[in-house]
This record gives sequence, C-alpha cells and structure tokens, in this order.
Amino acid sequence: MMIQMSGISHQFTIGKRAKEKVVPVLKNIHLQVEKGEIMAIVGRSGSGKSTLLNLMSGYIRPTEGRIVVAGQDVTGLTEGQWADFRLANYGFIFQSFQLIPGLTAAENVELPLVLKGVDKALRKRRTEELLEQVGMAEYMTHYPGELSGGQQQRVSVARALVMEPPIVLADEPTGSLDSENEKSLLTMIRQLNHELGITFVIITHDEQVAAIANRTLRLRDGAVQHPVPVSGSVQGGVGI
Amino acid sequence: MKLGDQLQFVRQNMKRNKTRLFMTILATAMGCAFLIVLASVGFGVQKSIVDRIVGDRLVTSIEVPGKDRDVNDNQGIHSEDIQYFHSIPKVKAVTFKYWVNQPIVIKANGAVIDNDRMLMVDFNAEQQSGTTLSAGRWPEKDNEIVVGYNVFGVNDEGVSKAADRLEQVVKLHVDHYDGGKLATKELDAVIVGVWNEPKREWIEDKAIYIGEGLIGQIEAVTGTLAGEIPYFDETPDPKQLEQRLSEIPKAGEPRQFGGVTVVADKASDVKGISDTLREKSYYVYSVADEVSQINVFFLILKIGLIFVGAIAVLIASIGIFNTMTMAVTERAQDIGIMKAIGAHPSVIKRVFLLESAMIGIIGAVFGTVVAYGISVAVNAGLPALVSMAMGEKLPEGFRFSIIPAYLALLACSISLVVAMLSGYRPAKRATAIDVLSALRRDI
Repeated sequence: MMIQMSGISHQFTIGKRAKEKVVPVLKNIHLQVEKGEIMAIVGRSGSGKSTLLNLMSGYIRPTEGRIVVAGQDVTGLTEGQWADFRLANYGFIFQSFQLIPGLTAAENVELPLVLKGVDKALRKRRTEELLEQVGMAEYMTHYPGELSGGQQQRVSVARALVMEPPIVLADEPTGSLDSENEKSLLTMIRQLNHELGITFVIITHDEQVAAIANRTLRLRDGAVQHPVPVSGSVQGGVGI
Repeated sequence: MKLGDQLQFVRQNMKRNKTRLFMTILATAMGCAFLIVLASVGFGVQKSIVDRIVGDRLVTSIEVPGKDRDVNDNQGIHSEDIQYFHSIPKVKAVTFKYWVNQPIVIKANGAVIDNDRMLMVDFNAEQQSGTTLSAGRWPEKDNEIVVGYNVFGVNDEGVSKAADRLEQVVKLHVDHYDGGKLATKELDAVIVGVWNEPKREWIEDKAIYIGEGLIGQIEAVTGTLAGEIPYFDETPDPKQLEQRLSEIPKAGEPRQFGGVTVVADKASDVKGISDTLREKSYYVYSVADEVSQINVFFLILKIGLIFVGAIAVLIASIGIFNTMTMAVTERAQDIGIMKAIGAHPSVIKRVFLLESAMIGIIGAVFGTVVAYGISVAVNAGLPALVSMAMGEKLPEGFRFSIIPAYLALLACSISLVVAMLSGYRPAKRATAIDVLSALRRDI
C-alpha cells in the first residue's frame, strides 16, 4: 500500500469573525493507492479533488482522519517534517507547471537536488539525464518564459522525477496543454509507470486523462461517488 | 541545501532588482562610513593628546619608588626586590640608580672634570629598556664609564662636547682612611660613552655613570658601602673615627636602590604589572596611570560617538527591512514553489537572512573604504583649513581622524548584526508563506 487515507474529512472556515461559516469539503473519505498504480481522481469543480491531493501533499491538514504514505503516518507531521517527507517521497506535476521564472530549465529541474544537498557533479549528470529523457536536452539553458506550455510541462515532469520519488502527484497535468502535448504527456506518464513502477495520483476532470489510470475515484460534493475496481494488474500491467 | 548553493541562490535573487539593491547598499555604506568617521575623530584626538602628554617619556616604564612601610620592614628597594621584578612575566628590563656616597674627584690630564654625582647603573638593563647613548658605546669592562651629556659642557649648537673625550683615561680620586688618616687612591677609568641628551632643555646631566665592577673597586678602597666615608674638619682621633665608621654600612651589605624603573614589554602590559606590584605593597607610578585617566574620558567619548554613528546604521536598516520585505513579496510564488517541492522552512529563512547579511557586509565594506578615504582627506586637509580660517597652526603630527582596524571591524559587525536583524522579520514571513496561496491553486 502506497497511500492510505482513512476517514478523511475536511472543512474550511470562511467569512470574518462573528460571521464565520464552516464549509465542509470532504466527508469521510477512504482511499487506498497501491504501489505502482495510476489512480485518477475525477470530479467536477468544487468536488474536493484538489483538496484531497493537497491533503496527500501535506499542504493542508485534515479536520478528521488519518493519512499513511509509504508506511509512515504523516497525519501529525510538522511543516518541516512534511517538507523533508515531500522531498524524499513525492514528485509534483502542476497544471500551471510552477517553474521558477528566474531559473533556467536545468536549474528548475536541479532544484530538488539542490534542496537535498546533492553534489554539483551528480546534480548536473542527473539533470541532463532527465531533460534528455523528456526530450528537453537542447533547452537546458532556456528560461521558462522562453518555452512553450508543452515544453514547460516536460521540464516540470523532469523536476518531478529528478529525486526518483516513489509517488508522483499530478494536479490537472494536462490542463494547460494542447491535445498533442496532452497525448505526449500521458504517454510519458504511462511509460514511467510501466518502466520505473512509479505510483501516480492524477487529479483531472478530463475523462481521456482518467482513461490511462488503473483505477478512478469519482468525487461528488466531497464524497466518493462510486469507486472503480482495479483494471488489470497494477505493477505496470496496463501497458502503454 | 549546502551553503554554497544558498549563496548562489542569494546572488541570483540579488540580481533581480539591481537599482533597489544598489540604493539599499548605498544607504548601509553611508551609515557605516558615518559611524567609522565619527568614531575615528575620537580615536584621532585621543592619540594626538595622549602623544603630547606622554611626549618622550617611556610609556612602558613603571617607576617603583619604594615599598609600603606599614606592610614591609624596610621602605627601600633591595637586590631581592630587583630579582623579584625580573621574575614578573612581561617585564623587559629593570633599571635603577645607585648613588656613590662620596664626592669623588675625577681628573683628566690633571684637570678636574665637573660632575655633580656618580651613579652606579646596570648598563645591560639600560640597553634593554631602550636607553640610548648620544655618542660612544656601552661599557664592556669594569673600568669603563659613561659620562652625562653636560659633563664637558655643550658647544654653540648645543651638542655635547663629551663626544670628543671618548676613550680618554680619567682618574678617580677615591678618599679613604689609611692608618687613621685621610688618604686618596687613584683608580683608572675610561670614558666610552655619553649618556643621551636630557629631554627637558633646562635639565643638565652632569652625572658619571659607572658599573657594578667599578663601584666594587671603590668599596674595596673605602671598605664601606657605596664608598661612603666620614669627613672631619680636623684630623679625628682614632676612637672618634672608629665610632663614625661603625655607623656607616660596610661593603657587601645590602644595597638600597633608587630610581627603580620596571620596563614592560608593551604598553598594554603596564597595567597588569602595576597591579601585580601594588598587590605586593610596592609604591608604583607610571605614565600609563596618568594616561589611563584621559583614556577613560576618551573611551566614554568614543562609545558616545559610536552610539550616535550606530543610529545612522539603524536608519539604513530601515532600507534593508524594506528591501527584504519587498523581496519576499515579489518572490512569494518562488517561495511557494520551493516549499511545495520540499524546501524546509529553515532553508527559506536562511536564504533570506543570508541575503540581508550580504547587503550588510557589502555596504559595510564599501562604507569602510569610503571612511578610510575621508579620514585621509580630513587629516591632510583640515590642518591647512584651520590654519587658513583661524590663523592657528596645529601641532605637527596632529591627526583628527584615526581608524584602527578594530573600529572598522566593529562597524562592519554592527552593520552585519543590524542587517540580519532587519532581515529577520521578512525572512520569517517568507517561511510563513502559504503554499497554496502562492501557487494560486483552487481549493
């Protein structure tokens, strides 16, 4: 079991003092993500799918429930512990790429290694390998502003994989891409899952994206609508 | 994240808004330069005044006139005291003067040499303490002597004539009693050196300086300590002579030294040695005691000036605070991204603290360079300006501004600390940036 969320509920408090209003976003969610599977979390806007991913990422804390990732109970981790945990276990792919504009493609990819304190030579080699792998070797010294959306997303995929994380969390990864780049990214995700056994959790509202997943969790109004059973073998059995 | 990478990160960040960075560094440099220049006036005036007070006096010397009679049996300084002074750490030399207690007539080629006293000194100790001769060399043999600067008078230019008498053999007419009658024995001596010129022009040095060997010969002739003998208007009867001689200490009895001066290795050692001597109940006086009173005044003045100067640095710190706050606001998204992928809050904080520290250091270095420039210009230009404007001529070598290395270091440290304090709050704010808000994600 790679990720296990048990009895997760989450609510936001909005409004000013004395006029506060509690908005429940997630209600008693139970979720298990197996090692090496691609899980898609699908739902309309406001269904709570991004909140679920944020809880997995440690960006927010659940009002109720327990989260276990890679065998470690992460529910009560401090901010600093969460930072270390994210660096070691997660790769992130964001809808709007979230590359640092002042850093080149190579520097963006290298960033997690820098944060980890990896040696410069090793960093350089690993960064070049990754950018080569995602077909961006010739754009290493380009700044994000000089790259197309598809190219930026490839760089962000390279950054997500540079630490060789067991889990990649992708939030609407194709949301800002055209159909050609979307297809290319999905192919890449399936390939990485198949070849490296990386577990993917993908948030999407796009059924085509959800189609590459082994399982799809549908959310509606903060609750699981109906879970879909595992389709085929998990450990890279889906094929590309 | 390694320190080298953090510094690289800081450098990249600093390049983003060069104008703002330049202005912030400029403000810090001005504050630092103001602090240094202001305090340097205190240092400069202090040194100039103290130098005038100390004059040619040996600032490392400690005079030991005697011992506290309430504590010790004898007030005088004896050989064992001299030995003890030598044993004190950081003592370079111990000089003394020991008076020959007989008006010995000295003749050269039959002519009497005009002198007012004969003193036994330790020539080696004098050399070590920094005493110099105006001519000749230090004695090496027992019968070699040094004469005072004015013993043979001075020429029209005020230069001692004694230099012309070097290597001249003189005869010391030592009085003593032989068979109850006053007799004189001649001892040969050679003039080999001329003592240095007295520092005060109204003082005349007509002393004859001899070593321990020669005083031993004198004492051997008289049989008394320091060559002292009684004189009578008429030939004394044996009983009367015996009575008077018995009252005089015999040769070989402990000497009591005068003009004892303990010389320290450095001026900074004077206080420690003085304290040690005071603890042992010696009376102590040094120029450093006099100077220390003035130094206390200037210390307070300098602290005041540094305090006023530090206010300028504090004002500059507002600029640093503003710059860093702006930097955090501008880089909120970058910080959010870094936190999102696993940057530890402490790393974020450290990067921003390093940035403000860099501003402080660069500003301080520039400020220090400028301050040195101003100091040189003030010392070169102000005396001329004072002379022109007020018609007063400042003493030669008077310096308005002196910047010791530690003042520059202190100012840089103050700038650094103030810069880091200014950057602390923005850095803390950076760590508190909400990842989701920074990434502008839908929640």
